[in-house]
Amino acid sequence: MNLIESILARASGKRRVQPGDIVIAEVDRMIMHDLSGYMTSRVYEEKVKQPLKHPDRVVMVFDHIFSPPREREAEVLQSNREWAVRYGIRLLDCGSGNIHNAVVREGFIGPGMVVVGSDSHTPVHGALGAFAVAVGNDCHAGMVFPHSKAWFRVPATLRIELDGRLPEGSTPRDVALWLVGQIGEGGAIYKALEFAGPFVDELELFDRWLLPLITVDVGAKCGYAEPDEKVFEFARAQHAMGHWEGLDIVPPSRRRPEEVRQYDVSRLEPQIACPPTVGNVKPVTAVAGQPIQWAEIGGHGGGRIEDIRLLARVLEGKRVHPDVRLNVVPASRAAFGEALREGLVELLHEAGAMWFPPSTGSNQNVNMGAMAAGESMISTHSRNFPGRNGSAAASMYLASALTVGASALRGCITDARDVL
Amino acid sequence: MSEAARGEGVRRVGGVCVKVGDHVNTDVIIPGRYLTSIDPAELATHAFEPLGRSFQDRVLAAKVLVAGKNFGCGSAREQAASCLVGAGIEAVIAESFARVFFRNAINTGLVAVQSAAAVAHITDGDEVFVNVAAGNVETRGGTFAFPAYPENLTRILSAGGLIPYVARRLEEESRR
Repeated sequence: MNLIESILARASGKRRVQPGDIVIAEVDRMIMHDLSGYMTSRVYEEKVKQPLKHPDRVVMVFDHIFSPPREREAEVLQSNREWAVRYGIRLLDCGSGNIHNAVVREGFIGPGMVVVGSDSHTPVHGALGAFAVAVGNDCHAGMVFPHSKAWFRVPATLRIELDGRLPEGSTPRDVALWLVGQIGEGGAIYKALEFAGPFVDELELFDRWLLPLITVDVGAKCGYAEPDEKVFEFARAQHAMGHWEGLDIVPPSRRRPEEVRQYDVSRLEPQIACPPTVGNVKPVTAVAGQPIQWAEIGGHGGGRIEDIRLLARVLEGKRVHPDVRLNVVPASRAAFGEALREGLVELLHEAGAMWFPPSTGSNQNVNMGAMAAGESMISTHSRNFPGRNGSAAASMYLASALTVGASALRGCITDARDVL
Repeated sequence: MSEAARGEGVRRVGGVCVKVGDHVNTDVIIPGRYLTSIDPAELATHAFEPLGRSFQDRVLAAKVLVAGKNFGCGSAREQAASCLVGAGIEAVIAESFARVFFRNAINTGLVAVQSAAAVAHITDGDEVFVNVAAGNVETRGGTFAFPAYPENLTRILSAGGLIPYVARRLEEESRR
Protein backbone atom coordinates (compact mmCIF):
# COMPACT_ATOMS: atom_id res chain seq x y z
CA MET A 1 0.00 0.00 0.00
CA ASN A 2 1.12 3.58 -0.59
CA LEU A 3 0.96 6.30 2.07
CA ILE A 4 -2.71 7.15 1.52
CA GLU A 5 -3.85 3.53 1.44
CA SER A 6 -1.84 2.78 4.60
CA ILE A 7 -3.35 5.71 6.45
CA LEU A 8 -6.89 4.76 5.37
CA ALA A 9 -6.37 1.10 6.28
CA ARG A 10 -5.21 1.99 9.77
CA ALA A 11 -7.90 4.63 10.27
CA SER A 12 -10.66 2.20 9.29
CA GLY A 13 -9.28 -0.76 11.26
CA LYS A 14 -8.53 -2.87 8.20
CA ARG A 15 -5.38 -4.77 7.29
CA ARG A 16 -5.55 -3.71 3.65
CA VAL A 17 -7.56 -1.37 1.49
CA GLN A 18 -7.49 -0.89 -2.27
CA PRO A 19 -8.67 1.79 -4.67
CA GLY A 20 -12.45 1.78 -4.97
CA ASP A 21 -13.09 0.47 -1.44
CA ILE A 22 -15.40 2.59 0.68
CA VAL A 23 -14.17 2.94 4.24
CA ILE A 24 -15.41 4.63 7.40
CA ALA A 25 -12.26 6.19 8.82
CA GLU A 26 -11.40 7.72 12.17
CA VAL A 27 -10.69 11.45 11.73
CA ASP A 28 -7.67 12.85 13.59
CA ARG A 29 -8.12 16.53 12.79
CA MET A 30 -10.96 18.62 11.51
CA ILE A 31 -10.45 22.22 10.42
CA MET A 32 -12.92 24.94 9.49
CA HIS A 33 -12.67 28.65 8.81
CA ASP A 34 -14.97 31.39 10.07
CA LEU A 35 -17.48 31.01 7.19
CA SER A 36 -17.59 27.22 6.94
CA GLY A 37 -17.41 26.97 10.74
CA TYR A 38 -20.47 29.15 11.05
CA MET A 39 -22.47 26.99 8.64
CA THR A 40 -21.26 23.76 10.22
CA SER A 41 -22.10 24.90 13.74
CA ARG A 42 -25.58 25.88 12.60
CA VAL A 43 -26.23 22.58 10.83
CA TYR A 44 -25.00 20.82 13.97
CA GLU A 45 -27.25 22.81 16.28
CA GLU A 46 -30.32 22.50 14.08
CA LYS A 47 -30.09 18.94 12.81
CA VAL A 48 -27.67 16.82 14.82
CA LYS A 49 -27.86 17.60 18.54
CA GLN A 50 -25.43 14.88 19.66
CA PRO A 51 -22.44 15.35 21.96
CA LEU A 52 -19.21 16.34 20.22
CA LYS A 53 -16.95 13.32 20.56
CA HIS A 54 -13.43 14.79 20.37
CA PRO A 55 -13.54 18.58 20.66
CA ASP A 56 -9.75 18.61 20.99
CA ARG A 57 -9.48 17.43 17.37
CA VAL A 58 -11.50 20.35 15.99
CA VAL A 59 -9.89 23.68 15.08
CA MET A 60 -11.62 26.80 13.80
CA VAL A 61 -9.61 29.65 12.27
CA PHE A 62 -11.04 33.11 11.67
CA ASP A 63 -9.28 33.85 8.41
CA HIS A 64 -11.76 35.46 6.00
CA ILE A 65 -12.77 38.14 8.50
CA PHE A 66 -9.87 39.77 10.33
CA SER A 67 -11.89 42.80 11.45
CA PRO A 68 -15.68 42.73 10.99
CA PRO A 69 -16.63 45.34 8.35
CA ARG A 70 -20.33 45.26 9.34
CA GLU A 71 -22.54 44.14 12.18
CA ARG A 72 -23.49 40.94 10.31
CA GLU A 73 -19.86 39.72 10.22
CA ALA A 74 -19.40 40.65 13.89
CA GLU A 75 -22.43 38.47 14.69
CA VAL A 76 -20.98 35.56 12.71
CA LEU A 77 -17.72 35.75 14.68
CA GLN A 78 -19.55 36.20 17.98
CA SER A 79 -21.69 33.13 17.29
CA ASN A 80 -18.59 31.12 16.33
CA ARG A 81 -16.70 32.16 19.46
CA GLU A 82 -19.56 31.26 21.76
CA TRP A 83 -19.95 27.94 19.98
CA ALA A 84 -16.22 27.18 20.22
CA VAL A 85 -16.23 27.92 23.95
CA ARG A 86 -19.39 25.90 24.59
CA TYR A 87 -17.93 22.75 23.02
CA GLY A 88 -14.30 23.30 23.97
CA ILE A 89 -12.88 23.27 20.44
CA ARG A 90 -9.68 25.10 19.55
CA LEU A 91 -10.15 28.61 18.17
CA LEU A 92 -7.56 30.69 16.32
CA ASP A 93 -9.16 34.13 16.33
CA CYS A 94 -8.80 37.14 13.98
CA GLY A 95 -5.26 37.83 12.84
CA SER A 96 -4.04 34.22 13.18
CA GLY A 97 -3.52 33.82 9.46
CA ASN A 98 -4.81 31.77 6.54
CA ILE A 99 -6.56 28.61 7.80
CA HIS A 100 -4.07 26.12 6.36
CA ASN A 101 -0.90 28.03 7.19
CA ALA A 102 -2.15 28.82 10.69
CA VAL A 103 -3.02 25.23 11.65
CA VAL A 104 0.33 23.96 10.39
CA ARG A 105 2.34 26.67 12.14
CA GLU A 106 0.39 26.01 15.37
CA GLY A 107 1.28 22.30 15.28
CA PHE A 108 -2.18 20.87 14.53
CA ILE A 109 -1.10 18.81 11.50
CA GLY A 110 1.34 15.92 11.38
CA PRO A 111 2.44 13.04 9.13
CA GLY A 112 0.08 10.07 8.97
CA MET A 113 -3.01 11.98 10.13
CA VAL A 114 -6.49 11.85 8.62
CA VAL A 115 -7.37 15.53 8.19
CA VAL A 116 -10.73 16.81 6.95
CA GLY A 117 -11.58 20.43 6.33
CA SER A 118 -14.55 22.38 5.06
CA ASP A 119 -12.30 24.22 2.65
CA SER A 120 -11.47 22.94 -0.80
CA HIS A 121 -7.72 23.50 -0.40
CA THR A 122 -7.49 21.17 2.62
CA PRO A 123 -5.45 18.64 0.56
CA VAL A 124 -2.47 20.99 0.94
CA HIS A 125 -1.70 19.18 4.22
CA GLY A 126 -0.53 16.24 2.13
CA ALA A 127 2.75 18.20 2.02
CA LEU A 128 3.27 16.93 5.59
CA GLY A 129 2.32 13.37 4.69
CA ALA A 130 -1.27 13.57 5.93
CA PHE A 131 -4.35 12.17 4.16
CA ALA A 132 -6.13 15.50 3.88
CA VAL A 133 -9.49 15.91 2.18
CA ALA A 134 -12.12 18.60 1.70
CA VAL A 135 -15.64 17.67 2.79
CA GLY A 136 -18.86 19.64 3.20
CA ASN A 137 -20.49 20.91 6.39
CA ASP A 138 -23.15 18.19 6.64
CA CYS A 139 -20.40 15.57 6.77
CA HIS A 140 -18.58 17.55 9.45
CA ALA A 141 -21.71 18.15 11.47
CA GLY A 142 -23.33 14.77 10.94
CA MET A 143 -20.42 12.37 11.25
CA VAL A 144 -17.20 14.03 12.31
CA PHE A 145 -18.52 15.98 15.30
CA PRO A 146 -20.58 13.21 16.92
CA HIS A 147 -18.49 10.19 15.83
CA SER A 148 -15.06 11.49 14.76
CA LYS A 149 -15.55 9.54 11.53
CA ALA A 150 -16.06 10.19 7.83
CA TRP A 151 -16.67 7.99 4.78
CA PHE A 152 -14.12 7.89 1.98
CA ARG A 153 -13.70 6.05 -1.28
CA VAL A 154 -10.07 4.93 -1.46
CA PRO A 155 -8.61 6.82 -4.44
CA ALA A 156 -6.42 5.44 -7.20
CA THR A 157 -3.03 7.14 -7.23
CA LEU A 158 -1.47 9.22 -9.97
CA ARG A 159 2.26 9.57 -9.35
CA ILE A 160 3.75 12.80 -10.62
CA GLU A 161 7.52 12.64 -10.90
CA LEU A 162 9.32 15.94 -11.21
CA ASP A 163 12.95 16.31 -12.17
CA GLY A 164 15.30 19.16 -13.05
CA ARG A 165 16.42 22.47 -11.58
CA LEU A 166 14.37 25.62 -12.10
CA PRO A 167 15.85 28.43 -14.20
CA GLU A 168 16.15 31.99 -12.84
CA GLY A 169 12.78 33.75 -12.54
CA SER A 170 10.77 30.54 -12.05
CA THR A 171 9.68 29.26 -8.65
CA PRO A 172 7.85 26.21 -7.24
CA ARG A 173 4.58 28.17 -7.61
CA ASP A 174 5.22 28.34 -11.37
CA VAL A 175 5.65 24.57 -11.39
CA ALA A 176 2.34 24.12 -9.57
CA LEU A 177 0.44 26.44 -11.92
CA TRP A 178 2.02 24.80 -14.95
CA LEU A 179 1.00 21.35 -13.69
CA VAL A 180 -2.66 22.44 -13.56
CA GLY A 181 -2.36 23.21 -17.26
CA GLN A 182 -0.51 19.95 -17.98
CA ILE A 183 -2.85 17.65 -16.04
CA GLY A 184 -5.90 19.71 -16.97
CA GLU A 185 -8.88 20.86 -14.92
CA GLY A 186 -10.78 17.75 -14.02
CA GLY A 187 -7.85 15.75 -15.42
CA ALA A 188 -7.36 13.68 -12.27
CA ILE A 189 -10.88 13.36 -10.86
CA TYR A 190 -11.06 11.37 -7.62
CA LYS A 191 -7.36 10.48 -7.70
CA ALA A 192 -4.65 10.83 -5.11
CA LEU A 193 -1.72 12.80 -6.52
CA GLU A 194 1.64 11.58 -5.28
CA PHE A 195 4.35 14.17 -5.88
CA ALA A 196 7.79 12.63 -6.08
CA GLY A 197 11.17 12.79 -7.80
CA PRO A 198 14.43 14.69 -7.32
CA PHE A 199 12.83 18.13 -7.74
CA VAL A 200 10.33 17.44 -4.96
CA ASP A 201 12.98 15.94 -2.68
CA GLU A 202 15.04 19.12 -2.94
CA LEU A 203 12.17 21.44 -2.01
CA GLU A 204 11.75 22.77 1.51
CA LEU A 205 8.48 21.89 3.23
CA PHE A 206 6.66 25.15 2.51
CA ASP A 207 7.63 25.11 -1.15
CA ARG A 208 6.56 21.47 -1.44
CA TRP A 209 3.20 22.66 -0.02
CA LEU A 210 2.42 24.49 -3.28
CA LEU A 211 2.11 21.16 -5.14
CA PRO A 212 -0.82 19.53 -3.28
CA LEU A 213 -2.44 22.98 -3.31
CA ILE A 214 -3.49 22.27 -6.93
CA THR A 215 -5.31 19.05 -5.99
CA VAL A 216 -8.78 20.60 -6.25
CA ASP A 217 -8.00 22.38 -9.52
CA VAL A 218 -7.36 19.10 -11.33
CA GLY A 219 -10.33 17.45 -9.60
CA ALA A 220 -8.26 15.11 -7.43
CA LYS A 221 -9.25 13.98 -3.94
CA CYS A 222 -5.95 14.48 -2.18
CA GLY A 223 -2.31 15.16 -2.93
CA TYR A 224 0.81 14.40 -1.00
CA ALA A 225 4.53 13.88 -0.92
CA GLU A 226 5.85 11.04 1.17
CA PRO A 227 7.36 12.75 4.22
CA ASP A 228 11.14 12.76 4.55
CA GLU A 229 13.57 13.86 7.25
CA LYS A 230 12.84 17.57 6.58
CA VAL A 231 9.16 17.01 7.29
CA PHE A 232 9.83 14.80 10.31
CA GLU A 233 12.15 17.43 11.77
CA PHE A 234 9.47 20.11 11.40
CA ALA A 235 6.77 17.84 12.82
CA ARG A 236 8.92 16.74 15.78
CA ALA A 237 9.55 20.38 16.70
CA GLN A 238 5.76 20.87 16.63
CA HIS A 239 5.07 17.69 18.66
CA ALA A 240 2.99 16.50 15.73
CA MET A 241 4.46 13.04 15.12
CA GLY A 242 1.79 11.12 17.04
CA HIS A 243 0.14 9.55 13.98
CA TRP A 244 3.12 8.31 12.03
CA GLU A 245 3.80 4.98 13.71
CA GLY A 246 2.24 1.74 12.52
CA LEU A 247 1.77 2.56 8.84
CA ASP A 248 2.43 -0.19 6.33
CA ILE A 249 3.94 1.77 3.43
CA VAL A 250 5.56 -0.06 0.53
CA PRO A 251 8.10 1.78 -1.68
CA PRO A 252 6.93 2.53 -5.26
CA SER A 253 9.21 -0.13 -6.79
CA ARG A 254 7.39 -2.88 -4.89
CA ARG A 255 3.83 -1.61 -5.41
CA ARG A 256 1.37 -2.69 -8.05
CA PRO A 257 1.79 -0.45 -11.10
CA GLU A 258 0.28 2.99 -10.82
CA GLU A 259 -0.26 5.69 -13.37
CA VAL A 260 2.93 7.76 -13.54
CA ARG A 261 3.60 11.03 -15.34
CA GLN A 262 7.06 12.52 -15.58
CA TYR A 263 7.92 16.16 -16.04
CA ASP A 264 11.16 18.08 -16.30
CA VAL A 265 11.13 21.65 -14.96
CA SER A 266 14.57 22.69 -16.24
CA ARG A 267 13.24 24.97 -18.96
CA LEU A 268 10.08 26.17 -17.26
CA GLU A 269 9.30 29.85 -17.86
CA PRO A 270 7.35 31.87 -15.25
CA GLN A 271 3.65 30.88 -15.51
CA ILE A 272 0.39 32.74 -14.96
CA ALA A 273 -3.21 31.52 -14.62
CA CYS A 274 -5.44 33.93 -16.53
CA PRO A 275 -9.17 34.40 -16.01
CA PRO A 276 -11.59 32.66 -15.99
CA THR A 277 -10.09 29.48 -14.44
CA VAL A 278 -6.97 28.21 -12.72
CA GLY A 279 -6.36 25.88 -15.65
CA ASN A 280 -6.02 28.75 -18.12
CA VAL A 281 -2.25 28.76 -17.63
CA LYS A 282 0.17 30.56 -19.96
CA PRO A 283 3.77 31.71 -19.84
CA VAL A 284 3.87 35.21 -18.30
CA THR A 285 5.34 36.50 -21.55
CA ALA A 286 2.03 35.72 -23.32
CA VAL A 287 0.17 38.40 -21.31
CA ALA A 288 3.04 40.72 -20.36
CA GLY A 289 2.12 44.40 -20.63
CA GLN A 290 -1.49 43.92 -19.45
CA PRO A 291 -2.12 46.82 -16.97
CA ILE A 292 -3.00 45.97 -13.34
CA GLN A 293 -4.40 48.11 -10.54
CA TRP A 294 -3.99 45.64 -7.69
CA ALA A 295 -1.28 43.22 -6.64
CA GLU A 296 -1.39 40.93 -3.63
CA ILE A 297 0.79 38.48 -1.80
CA GLY A 298 -1.52 36.32 0.30
CA GLY A 299 -4.06 33.50 0.39
CA HIS A 300 -3.49 29.75 0.39
CA GLY A 301 -0.76 30.04 -2.23
CA GLY A 302 1.11 33.05 -0.84
CA GLY A 303 1.95 35.09 2.23
CA ARG A 304 4.44 32.52 3.49
CA ILE A 305 7.82 33.95 4.50
CA GLU A 306 9.16 32.45 1.26
CA ASP A 307 6.77 34.69 -0.72
CA ILE A 308 7.57 37.77 1.31
CA ARG A 309 11.29 37.18 0.66
CA LEU A 310 10.70 36.81 -3.09
CA LEU A 311 8.71 40.04 -3.11
CA ALA A 312 11.48 41.83 -1.22
CA ARG A 313 14.00 40.52 -3.73
CA VAL A 314 12.20 42.37 -6.52
CA LEU A 315 11.29 45.53 -4.61
CA GLU A 316 14.38 46.21 -2.48
CA GLY A 317 15.32 49.89 -2.86
CA LYS A 318 12.54 50.48 -5.43
CA ARG A 319 8.99 51.86 -5.42
CA VAL A 320 5.71 50.21 -6.41
CA HIS A 321 4.26 51.75 -9.61
CA PRO A 322 1.94 54.71 -8.79
CA ASP A 323 -1.05 53.05 -10.55
CA VAL A 324 -0.83 49.93 -8.36
CA ARG A 325 -1.90 49.14 -4.78
CA LEU A 326 0.25 46.27 -3.44
CA ASN A 327 -1.28 44.31 -0.54
CA VAL A 328 0.93 42.10 1.60
CA VAL A 329 -1.03 39.62 3.71
CA PRO A 330 1.11 37.32 5.87
CA ALA A 331 -0.22 33.76 5.89
CA SER A 332 0.39 33.35 9.63
CA ARG A 333 1.57 35.24 12.69
CA ALA A 334 4.76 33.17 12.47
CA ALA A 335 5.39 34.40 8.90
CA PHE A 336 4.83 38.02 9.93
CA GLY A 337 7.21 37.57 12.87
CA GLU A 338 9.87 36.20 10.54
CA ALA A 339 9.39 39.10 8.11
CA LEU A 340 9.71 41.52 11.02
CA ARG A 341 12.94 39.98 12.26
CA GLU A 342 14.41 39.86 8.75
CA GLY A 343 13.73 43.57 8.20
CA LEU A 344 11.30 42.85 5.37
CA VAL A 345 8.38 44.68 6.94
CA GLU A 346 10.28 47.96 6.76
CA LEU A 347 11.81 47.20 3.37
CA LEU A 348 8.40 46.54 1.77
CA HIS A 349 6.78 49.45 3.61
CA GLU A 350 9.41 51.77 2.17
CA ALA A 351 8.76 50.30 -1.28
CA GLY A 352 5.11 51.37 -1.00
CA ALA A 353 3.44 48.08 0.00
CA MET A 354 0.43 47.98 2.36
CA TRP A 355 0.65 45.45 5.20
CA PHE A 356 -2.55 43.66 6.20
CA PRO A 357 -3.20 41.44 9.24
CA PRO A 358 -2.39 37.72 8.92
CA SER A 359 -5.53 36.27 7.26
CA THR A 360 -6.63 34.82 3.94
CA GLY A 361 -6.63 38.34 2.46
CA SER A 362 -8.70 38.99 -0.64
CA ASN A 363 -9.76 35.35 -1.04
CA GLN A 364 -13.52 35.50 -1.86
CA ASN A 365 -13.62 39.24 -1.13
CA VAL A 366 -15.12 38.89 2.35
CA ASN A 367 -13.07 41.45 4.28
CA MET A 368 -11.07 43.05 1.44
CA GLY A 369 -10.19 42.70 -2.22
CA ALA A 370 -13.22 43.89 -4.19
CA MET A 371 -12.55 45.18 -7.71
CA ALA A 372 -14.61 47.44 -9.94
CA ALA A 373 -15.51 46.45 -13.51
CA GLY A 374 -12.45 46.66 -15.72
CA GLU A 375 -9.92 46.42 -12.88
CA SER A 376 -7.29 43.69 -12.70
CA MET A 377 -5.36 42.06 -9.88
CA ILE A 378 -2.31 39.83 -9.97
CA SER A 379 -1.89 37.72 -6.87
CA THR A 380 -0.59 34.55 -5.28
CA HIS A 381 -4.19 33.47 -4.55
CA SER A 382 -5.47 30.10 -5.60
CA ARG A 383 -8.64 30.94 -7.52
CA ASN A 384 -9.56 33.38 -10.29
CA PHE A 385 -13.22 32.72 -11.15
CA PRO A 386 -14.93 35.93 -12.40
CA GLY A 387 -17.08 37.58 -9.74
CA ARG A 388 -15.07 36.14 -6.87
CA ASN A 389 -13.51 39.54 -6.19
CA GLY A 390 -16.19 42.14 -6.79
CA SER A 391 -17.31 42.75 -10.35
CA ALA A 392 -17.68 39.80 -12.72
CA ALA A 393 -16.07 42.15 -15.25
CA ALA A 394 -12.86 42.39 -13.17
CA SER A 395 -9.89 40.09 -13.84
CA MET A 396 -7.78 38.02 -11.45
CA TYR A 397 -4.38 36.64 -12.53
CA LEU A 398 -2.56 34.05 -10.42
CA ALA A 399 1.22 33.87 -10.37
CA SER A 400 4.32 33.55 -8.19
CA ALA A 401 5.35 36.17 -5.63
CA LEU A 402 8.24 37.07 -7.93
CA THR A 403 5.90 37.79 -10.85
CA VAL A 404 3.47 39.66 -8.57
CA GLY A 405 6.35 41.85 -7.33
CA ALA A 406 7.71 42.54 -10.81
CA SER A 407 4.21 43.44 -12.03
CA ALA A 408 3.59 45.78 -9.07
CA LEU A 409 6.85 47.51 -9.89
CA ARG A 410 6.02 48.07 -13.57
CA GLY A 411 2.25 48.61 -13.30
CA CYS A 412 1.54 45.83 -15.76
CA ILE A 413 2.01 42.07 -15.92
CA THR A 414 5.76 41.62 -16.06
CA ASP A 415 8.13 38.70 -16.42
CA ALA A 416 10.30 38.86 -13.30
CA ARG A 417 13.39 38.11 -15.40
CA ASP A 418 13.05 41.63 -16.85
CA VAL A 419 13.55 43.28 -13.47
CA LEU A 420 15.91 40.94 -11.61
CA MET B 1 -38.56 18.00 -3.18
CA SER B 2 -40.78 15.03 -3.95
CA GLU B 3 -41.29 12.19 -1.53
CA ALA B 4 -39.78 9.89 -4.12
CA ALA B 5 -36.42 11.61 -3.92
CA ARG B 6 -36.46 12.23 -0.20
CA GLY B 7 -38.13 9.19 1.20
CA GLU B 8 -37.27 5.55 1.56
CA GLY B 9 -35.77 4.01 -1.54
CA VAL B 10 -35.08 6.46 -4.32
CA ARG B 11 -36.86 4.86 -7.29
CA ARG B 12 -37.51 7.15 -10.24
CA VAL B 13 -36.99 10.89 -10.27
CA GLY B 14 -36.97 13.43 -13.04
CA GLY B 15 -38.87 15.66 -15.42
CA VAL B 16 -37.88 18.62 -17.55
CA CYS B 17 -34.14 19.31 -17.64
CA VAL B 18 -31.84 22.28 -17.97
CA LYS B 19 -28.52 21.61 -19.67
CA VAL B 20 -25.25 23.42 -18.89
CA GLY B 21 -21.69 23.05 -20.19
CA ASP B 22 -18.33 21.90 -18.81
CA HIS B 23 -16.55 23.06 -15.63
CA VAL B 24 -19.54 24.84 -14.06
CA ASN B 25 -18.00 26.04 -10.78
CA THR B 26 -19.43 26.55 -7.31
CA ASP B 27 -19.14 30.35 -7.51
CA VAL B 28 -21.64 30.17 -10.39
CA ILE B 29 -23.91 27.64 -8.67
CA ILE B 30 -24.10 29.63 -5.43
CA PRO B 31 -21.98 32.79 -4.99
CA GLY B 32 -19.84 33.00 -1.83
CA ARG B 33 -21.71 36.00 -0.43
CA TYR B 34 -24.78 33.86 0.30
CA LEU B 35 -22.94 31.24 2.31
CA THR B 36 -24.18 32.50 5.67
CA SER B 37 -27.44 30.65 4.94
CA ILE B 38 -28.02 26.91 5.25
CA ASP B 39 -31.71 27.03 4.27
CA PRO B 40 -32.15 25.27 0.88
CA ALA B 41 -35.22 27.41 0.03
CA GLU B 42 -33.41 30.69 0.69
CA LEU B 43 -30.29 29.47 -1.11
CA ALA B 44 -32.41 28.43 -4.08
CA THR B 45 -33.35 32.06 -4.75
CA HIS B 46 -29.64 32.75 -5.41
CA ALA B 47 -28.77 29.52 -7.26
CA PHE B 48 -27.09 30.31 -10.61
CA GLU B 49 -27.50 34.03 -9.96
CA PRO B 50 -24.41 34.91 -12.06
CA LEU B 51 -26.19 33.42 -15.11
CA GLY B 52 -29.14 35.80 -14.86
CA ARG B 53 -32.80 35.78 -13.83
CA SER B 54 -34.21 34.00 -16.89
CA PHE B 55 -31.79 31.09 -16.48
CA GLN B 56 -32.58 30.96 -12.75
CA ASP B 57 -36.30 30.73 -13.54
CA ARG B 58 -35.64 27.81 -15.88
CA VAL B 59 -33.72 26.02 -13.11
CA LEU B 60 -36.59 26.60 -10.68
CA ALA B 61 -39.01 25.06 -13.19
CA ALA B 62 -36.78 22.05 -13.92
CA LYS B 63 -36.41 18.71 -12.15
CA VAL B 64 -33.09 17.61 -13.63
CA LEU B 65 -29.84 19.41 -14.24
CA VAL B 66 -27.68 18.02 -17.05
CA ALA B 67 -24.03 19.06 -17.19
CA GLY B 68 -20.77 18.42 -18.99
CA LYS B 69 -17.41 17.62 -17.47
CA ASN B 70 -16.27 18.43 -13.90
CA PHE B 71 -19.60 19.80 -12.68
CA GLY B 72 -19.36 21.58 -9.31
CA CYS B 73 -15.64 22.29 -9.41
CA GLY B 74 -14.15 24.86 -7.05
CA SER B 75 -15.16 25.29 -3.45
CA ALA B 76 -16.18 22.60 -0.94
CA ARG B 77 -19.40 24.47 -0.11
CA GLU B 78 -22.23 22.06 0.61
CA GLN B 79 -24.71 24.76 -0.42
CA ALA B 80 -23.81 24.05 -4.07
CA ALA B 81 -25.79 20.82 -3.64
CA SER B 82 -28.38 21.98 -1.13
CA CYS B 83 -29.36 25.08 -3.16
CA LEU B 84 -30.28 22.74 -6.03
CA VAL B 85 -32.38 20.63 -3.67
CA GLY B 86 -34.08 23.88 -2.59
CA ALA B 87 -34.67 24.79 -6.24
CA GLY B 88 -36.56 21.52 -6.77
CA ILE B 89 -33.82 19.73 -8.70
CA GLU B 90 -34.11 15.99 -8.04
CA ALA B 91 -31.15 14.71 -10.02
CA VAL B 92 -27.97 15.94 -11.65
CA ILE B 93 -26.63 13.99 -14.62
CA ALA B 94 -23.11 14.91 -15.70
CA GLU B 95 -20.30 13.65 -17.86
CA SER B 96 -18.21 13.87 -14.69
CA PHE B 97 -18.36 15.52 -11.27
CA ALA B 98 -15.89 17.38 -9.13
CA ARG B 99 -15.52 15.01 -6.21
CA VAL B 100 -16.56 17.34 -3.39
CA PHE B 101 -19.75 18.19 -5.25
CA PHE B 102 -20.53 14.50 -5.74
CA ARG B 103 -19.91 13.85 -2.06
CA ASN B 104 -22.04 16.80 -0.98
CA ALA B 105 -24.83 15.73 -3.35
CA ILE B 106 -25.06 12.25 -1.82
CA ASN B 107 -24.77 13.71 1.69
CA THR B 108 -27.68 16.08 1.05
CA GLY B 109 -29.83 13.42 -0.64
CA LEU B 110 -29.49 14.77 -4.19
CA VAL B 111 -29.25 12.07 -6.88
CA ALA B 112 -25.99 12.54 -8.84
CA VAL B 113 -25.40 10.31 -11.83
CA GLN B 114 -22.40 10.11 -14.11
CA SER B 115 -23.23 9.17 -17.71
CA ALA B 116 -21.43 10.77 -20.64
CA ALA B 117 -23.62 8.80 -23.07
CA ALA B 118 -26.85 10.09 -21.54
CA VAL B 119 -25.55 13.66 -21.50
CA ALA B 120 -24.64 13.41 -25.18
CA HIS B 121 -28.20 12.35 -26.04
CA ILE B 122 -30.03 14.95 -23.97
CA THR B 123 -31.11 18.28 -25.45
CA ASP B 124 -31.77 21.29 -23.23
CA GLY B 125 -35.43 21.17 -22.14
CA ASP B 126 -35.94 17.41 -22.68
CA GLU B 127 -37.75 15.27 -20.16
CA VAL B 128 -35.27 13.02 -18.41
CA PHE B 129 -35.80 10.39 -15.71
CA VAL B 130 -33.31 8.61 -13.47
CA ASN B 131 -34.10 5.14 -12.14
CA VAL B 132 -31.73 4.79 -9.25
CA ALA B 133 -32.60 1.22 -8.34
CA ALA B 134 -32.39 0.01 -11.94
CA GLY B 135 -29.32 2.12 -12.59
CA ASN B 136 -30.40 3.87 -15.77
CA VAL B 137 -31.29 7.21 -17.29
CA GLU B 138 -34.33 7.42 -19.60
CA THR B 139 -34.24 10.06 -22.32
CA ARG B 140 -35.99 10.68 -25.60
CA GLY B 141 -32.92 9.25 -27.32
CA GLY B 142 -32.82 6.01 -25.36
CA THR B 143 -32.06 4.42 -22.02
CA PHE B 144 -28.53 4.61 -20.66
CA ALA B 145 -27.16 2.47 -17.85
CA PHE B 146 -24.89 3.93 -15.20
CA PRO B 147 -22.77 1.97 -12.72
CA ALA B 148 -24.62 1.20 -9.48
CA TYR B 149 -23.72 3.18 -6.39
CA PRO B 150 -21.80 1.33 -3.70
CA GLU B 151 -24.24 -0.02 -1.12
CA ASN B 152 -23.49 2.49 1.61
CA LEU B 153 -24.06 5.45 -0.72
CA THR B 154 -27.41 3.99 -1.73
CA ARG B 155 -28.32 3.81 1.95
CA ILE B 156 -27.34 7.45 2.54
CA LEU B 157 -29.29 8.53 -0.54
CA SER B 158 -32.37 6.48 0.42
CA ALA B 159 -32.40 8.04 3.87
CA GLY B 160 -32.48 11.50 2.27
CA GLY B 161 -28.88 12.39 3.13
CA LEU B 162 -26.07 11.73 5.56
CA ILE B 163 -27.52 13.39 8.67
CA PRO B 164 -30.89 11.59 8.54
CA TYR B 165 -29.01 8.37 7.73
CA VAL B 166 -26.69 8.65 10.74
CA ALA B 167 -29.60 9.73 12.96
CA ARG B 168 -31.61 6.69 11.88
CA ARG B 169 -28.71 4.35 12.53
CA LEU B 170 -28.25 5.79 16.00
CA GLU B 171 -31.94 5.34 16.70
CA GLU B 172 -31.76 1.72 15.57
CA GLU B 173 -28.72 1.10 17.73
CA SER B 174 -30.36 2.62 20.80
CA ARG B 175 -33.42 0.37 20.33
CA ARG B 176 -31.30 -2.76 20.35
